[in-house]
Amino acid sequence: MTTPVLEVTGLSRFFGGLPAVRDVSMRIPAGERRLLLGPNGAGKTTFFNLVAGDFQPSQGEIRIFGHNVTRKSANQRTHLGMARTHQIITLLSKNTLLHNVVISLVGLRQIRFNPWSDLRRQTQLWDQARATLALVGLEDLADRSVAETSYGERRRLEIAMALAQKPKLLLLDEPLAGLSADERQDVQRLLQSVPRDVTVVMIEHDMDVALAFADVITVMQHGQVVVEGSRADVVADPRTREVYLGH
Amino acid sequence: MRAPSFNLLSSLTAIAALLALPWLVTSDYYVNIASQVVIAAILALSLNLLIGFGGMISLGHAAYLGVAAYLSIYLTAHAGFGHLAGALIAIGATTGLAMLFGYLALRASGLGFLMITLALGQILWGVAYRWASLTGGDNGLGGLKRPHPFGFNLMDPAVFYYFALAFLGIALWCIARFVQSALGQSLQGTRDQPRRMRALGYNVWLIQWLSFVFAGFWGAVAGLLYAYYHQFVSPQTLHLTTSAETLLMVIAGGSGTLLGPMVGAALVVILKNVVSAYITRWLILLGVIFVVIVLFMPEGLVPGITRWVRSLSSRPRADKAADTPSVVKEPAQ
Repeated sequence: MTTPVLEVTGLSRFFGGLPAVRDVSMRIPAGERRLLLGPNGAGKTTFFNLVAGDFQPSQGEIRIFGHNVTRKSANQRTHLGMARTHQIITLLSKNTLLHNVVISLVGLRQIRFNPWSDLRRQTQLWDQARATLALVGLEDLADRSVAETSYGERRRLEIAMALAQKPKLLLLDEPLAGLSADERQDVQRLLQSVPRDVTVVMIEHDMDVALAFADVITVMQHGQVVVEGSRADVVADPRTREVYLGH
Repeated sequence: MRAPSFNLLSSLTAIAALLALPWLVTSDYYVNIASQVVIAAILALSLNLLIGFGGMISLGHAAYLGVAAYLSIYLTAHAGFGHLAGALIAIGATTGLAMLFGYLALRASGLGFLMITLALGQILWGVAYRWASLTGGDNGLGGLKRPHPFGFNLMDPAVFYYFALAFLGIALWCIARFVQSALGQSLQGTRDQPRRMRALGYNVWLIQWLSFVFAGFWGAVAGLLYAYYHQFVSPQTLHLTTSAETLLMVIAGGSGTLLGPMVGAALVVILKNVVSAYITRWLILLGVIFVVIVLFMPEGLVPGITRWVRSLSSRPRADKAADTPSVVKEPAQ
């Protein structure tokens, strides 16, 4: 049996007395497109934050590529081959789009500790960053400040920064949120172009887009997994209807 | 051939003015003031690494100035060490202290960080004040004679000024390189988006700690020059007011810029030394100036003046554009 890319066992996180994630177990093999569904407050983003290392779990274990990362920091997990986007966009807004991607590239390289070499002269990095921006259709805006870009362009930049790191596990937290119809199509095409050897776990509320994208769907409610299975199974399951419609 | 840029011309003018200063001013008194400005500028530049580029507001930066000064005077004048050995040990030990203080202070961020740096600085002040057998207590520690590196007599005010200026040049060059390096850019990233930087693989704590130690090193260099200049050190050097004064230099001049802290250092040192000769309550004047800066240039003098110059230089162009008749003709009705 091959080692799963992401394996979560009995994961819980309590904020005071409030359980945000309760006893969640999940096994995601390489190359799978996994969709996390659930109403607001279901614990999806908290689950992402636990997997990414932003929060420490109250209970349970997280394994990425077979490594137990439960007590590892977020940056150590990134070095194992994980990348993520955030629900609330977090970018270096004073800098250009190109600079943001360069910073993303530097994050995994030894040069990040170099206090002497001028980063502006690392032409190879800047060329690579420009190529990554071209991948998401932002090459024309490469030298523009992030503060002067639209919401949709920032979403695409976030994805570009994640893809620049050539991850093997990609966590996408509502990548289509707040986008116009045209922008949605652009991002959708972009997500479909992600190589199949990259495992993608995505939180998304747009059911049409999400269902078309996913191999396996996990429905969460009140911090727990309610339904898990293939698209057809989950759509047909009455508990899914109950979670979304309340009857 | 392209005309040299405004920045290049102003930089060359500033360098020429700094080099010519001992000839431009008539008395040793002003040359000595200039030396004090240079030493304060190195300290302010080092604090700016934390505040401006790292977003870590410290109220304990006088620790490095004072400890390096105490150590160099004690080792050279009282423990029998030579000037070079005393200087190297003072800088090395103070940098080691910055390693420890950084480790302790970076357990918190924001207000917690500020309070820890304040507390650590005040502990050192207390030690210097109470451990009289070692530090001389309230009387301070003196007896240091300025060295004669390569035969230069540092007792001459102009020679000392150039000596200090050389260190400022090296500090400025090293800090400018650091700011543009991958580590410096990462530090600025951790200032703006620490969570994002972690997600990108950066060890935010380590980046901040390394920068803290680097800032401590340059604070120690300023302390060494301070010891050579005054040939005396007292607990006042380690006091909160010294840290606050340095913070004022950075904020007034413009944090996150290289020129700003130097301008801020000049402002505070000149007010302190020159204006205080004419106005007894010079601190009130300093307070008023600071309030005016915060009101009209909240980003500091250097970025504020740059903004004003830009807006003034763009206004005639805009006016001209408004006066110029449109090239595109209205279509015939």
